[in-house]
Amino acid sequence: MRLSFKGRPVIPGYVEGEAIIVDSISFYGDVRVEDGLLPDGRSISGKIIISRRGKGSTVGPYILYALKSRGLAPKAILLASRSDPVIVSGAVIAEVILVDSLPEDIVKLTRDGDRVRVYSDGSIIIA
Amino acid sequence: MFLDSEEERILEGYEGEAKARALKVIVKVGESLGASRLIKIKHAHISGVSYENIGDSGLEFINNFRLLGAKFSVPTTINPISYDLLDYNSIYGLKLSREYIRAQELILRALEDMGAELILTCTPYYTRIPERYNLKVGDHVAWGESSAVAYANSILGIRSNREGGPLALMAAIAGRTYYYGMHIDEERIPRVEYIVESIMLDEAEAGVLGEIIAGIHRDSRPPLVNALFKNNPSIKEFLAAISTAGDLAMAHIRGITPEDPRGEISERVNITIRDIERLLEERSPIGDVDIVYIGCPHASLDEFKTFIRMLEEKHSRGKARIIVSMSRSVFMEALSIGLVERAQNIGVSIVRDSCLIVSPFSRFNRDVSVVTNSYKAYYYLSRRGVKAYLARTRDLAKYI
Repeated sequence: MRLSFKGRPVIPGYVEGEAIIVDSISFYGDVRVEDGLLPDGRSISGKIIISRRGKGSTVGPYILYALKSRGLAPKAILLASRSDPVIVSGAVIAEVILVDSLPEDIVKLTRDGDRVRVYSDGSIIIA
Repeated sequence: MFLDSEEERILEGYEGEAKARALKVIVKVGESLGASRLIKIKHAHISGVSYENIGDSGLEFINNFRLLGAKFSVPTTINPISYDLLDYNSIYGLKLSREYIRAQELILRALEDMGAELILTCTPYYTRIPERYNLKVGDHVAWGESSAVAYANSILGIRSNREGGPLALMAAIAGRTYYYGMHIDEERIPRVEYIVESIMLDEAEAGVLGEIIAGIHRDSRPPLVNALFKNNPSIKEFLAAISTAGDLAMAHIRGITPEDPRGEISERVNITIRDIERLLEERSPIGDVDIVYIGCPHASLDEFKTFIRMLEEKHSRGKARIIVSMSRSVFMEALSIGLVERAQNIGVSIVRDSCLIVSPFSRFNRDVSVVTNSYKAYYYLSRRGVKAYLARTRDLAKYI
């Protein structure tokens, strides 16, 4: 199955990679800075995070920045809501691609490991 | 984005490289969010200052601005750090190396050099800061610390977005932030109302309500909340929960928020006390616990006083440790009225400048169990492998 979605390119760019689905994401509290792992043991490093929305601590941007400095950052963050300033400031300082305002279906229909292409106009193709 | 001539000059470096660089990031974030212009701020509060949280890359990020000669353009205060500066041993079990302490001190020195006042608390609203800088309804600020942002917008009517830690730092340097979200009148008008059965919500119940609302609220505008809160700390816990479990910068609380919600409600949602009780019961301790903890976000003087009075009424005592975290400012007030001495008499440890969340507490106490009335503390501690539980404030005495 091939799915396509259109969102708003907040920090635009082209990248392809593997999907990881996280219902809502706070880099502080949810992602371990030493190894990029979530509390459930999955890794976000080098992946394309697909999430309903951001949440939580304003310390999140520093965690994303630290992950980037260690080569553990995600390739892109895709959100099914309008992005919260915390996520945006993290994406700006860590230079991570961010697309928001995607339909909620992207969270429901995509599975961990699906191949994702992110285009700079905000279109997303999932194979 | 529209920039005035002064802002253009800053970007061109006429006021130094640090200020130019800081404003550049603010403009970039603002443009990404679709902001049309910038707005001058009256105060900044910076989160992300604990070495435990931000590590070496965060330290470097902050210190680079100091090395560029950055100075804060507006009064600036900062969040708690990774240990109690007045007593390194006040947090149970911490073993801090010399390098670790030096790294935290370097962060503090960098921020102080740039002009920060080291209030070291997540509750600047429980200090004299709002009064001293005459922060009033409608004023624009740039605050990090999600719980303080929610309190500023919802209770003080002071406007701030959830500025990420580094962004609050840059807004402090630039004296401006992007005009977006909570700064704009219309964006503060609720469209969805949550009606909670009329019982007086205590701290833990209020936190769970915050979690429920954060989980179901989809509208980009703040929710309107029709609920009764037992006291001010319950409101604090509610607001800390909505900003922990979700990305809400404000909740319009009927009868408390100093703004007119207007009449644009298009959806009403009922929440029953049963919904709250069920989630609370799931997280209640089953047997004994090692630590009873309050003060996340930092306790107010009244909250501390009520808690100590409650403990004094209990005569027998088990072996659980009792920890309360608060700002040094509230600590000094408590000291002056004899409350600190009373707390020490019943074996309460007081943590200033820090807390169980931003300190390495959970690294050194993996197997301990903690019961708290704070949803936010419960949330972060349980994600770090501590056995954390939630209980109503009046029930905390049971575990002591």
